[in-house]
Amino acid sequence: MPTLLVIPTGIGCVVGGFAGDALPAARLLAAASGCLITHPNVMNGAALYWSDPRIHYVEGWSLDRFAAGELLLQPVRQQRVGLLLDAGIEPELRQRHLQVADGCRATLGLNIGPVVTTDVPLEVSLSLGASGVSWGQLRRPDVLLRAGEQLKAAGATAIAVVARFPDDPESEALAAYRQGSGVDALAGAEAVISHLLSRELGLPCAHAPALSLLPLDPELDPRAAGEELGFTFLPCVLVGLSRAPSLLPATASSAAGASVLEIDAVGAVIAPAAALGGSAVLACAERGIPVIAVDNPCLLNVTAEALGLEVLPAASYSEAAGLVLALREGIAPVALQRPLLPLSALR
Amino acid sequence: MNLGELRPVLLQLEREPGSLRAQVESALLRHGQPLRWAITDVDLSAEGRSFLQIEAVVIGSIDPKCSEA
Repeated sequence: MPTLLVIPTGIGCVVGGFAGDALPAARLLAAASGCLITHPNVMNGAALYWSDPRIHYVEGWSLDRFAAGELLLQPVRQQRVGLLLDAGIEPELRQRHLQVADGCRATLGLNIGPVVTTDVPLEVSLSLGASGVSWGQLRRPDVLLRAGEQLKAAGATAIAVVARFPDDPESEALAAYRQGSGVDALAGAEAVISHLLSRELGLPCAHAPALSLLPLDPELDPRAAGEELGFTFLPCVLVGLSRAPSLLPATASSAAGASVLEIDAVGAVIAPAAALGGSAVLACAERGIPVIAVDNPCLLNVTAEALGLEVLPAASYSEAAGLVLALREGIAPVALQRPLLPLSALR
Repeated sequence: MNLGELRPVLLQLEREPGSLRAQVESALLRHGQPLRWAITDVDLSAEGRSFLQIEAVVIGSIDPKCSEA
């Protein structure tokens, strides 16, 4: 039963607000559903990753369009992942990223290339929204797109983009994040970059920030540890994109093969109970797809009650996996609850 | 490719009957092409009215004549 898992980036979720720390939940939900569609924030653990043919790695903009019925997902054996590097990356750090790409070719057998460097630096900046969630900008979206178009023209079928992000090793926000609280300050700008490329090029895209190494933090939270194992955040992106489904316009439905995924086949969407106000969740709810709202505290309080949505509440991702299994097997979730109220008759 | 600037947008909207997603996207279109958005707060008044806070990034310039309700 195709199932969507959404854990929005940059909102400080207790599960999924750090370095791919929702990956165990995703693996469980993939086993329960047999087919999980989720996004890079869930799957990306910097140097750590997990590849499972039941998990479909779909960037957020494309996930929203899929949920809206505007895109189909075509599973593939392998993508050719073009590497887009920001001209703002220093030569040594750039070389580290190229070595990661070579390592993924040599050790994992990924099809990577070509490599394109932007004409000028992208000039990424970070910010927080009124609610405290992470947002961000890049000053030169035109430069990003020009490089993306070059990669597409050269045969890339997916794009991994690495932008130089501002270092701020002394910031309180970074210290809090490394010690397991607050929001991932980089996440909002990362999402803007990958959303823009996916939207304009129609290819699977994902982003890894280029940053200087941080000094050792003995109090490092385990959920942030994946980001401190290497020189780059790139391995998970290359692995995720290497088998990300291709994006087809919904008008291609009649020509598409039986393996194509479309929103009408989705049996559930899972999201944090206090972050239900995103495009994909609302689109699913409007289609009558069951929404499983998981207790996963974050900065927001946009609940089912506030939005007037009907949801299946779950206290954890383990409980959500049980609900997915029930839906997959055709067991009404209410039959698993007590008290079980008598039927009421229509008047 | 001709592309406008990326702009942050903060909106307050009173919820209307019908599709919530369509209402948000329609409000954002007055400011540019929505790239990324979320409802980040909901305020319920004593009279039962519902006010949504939307945070977004849009592509394109903001029309200064657009008022943020």
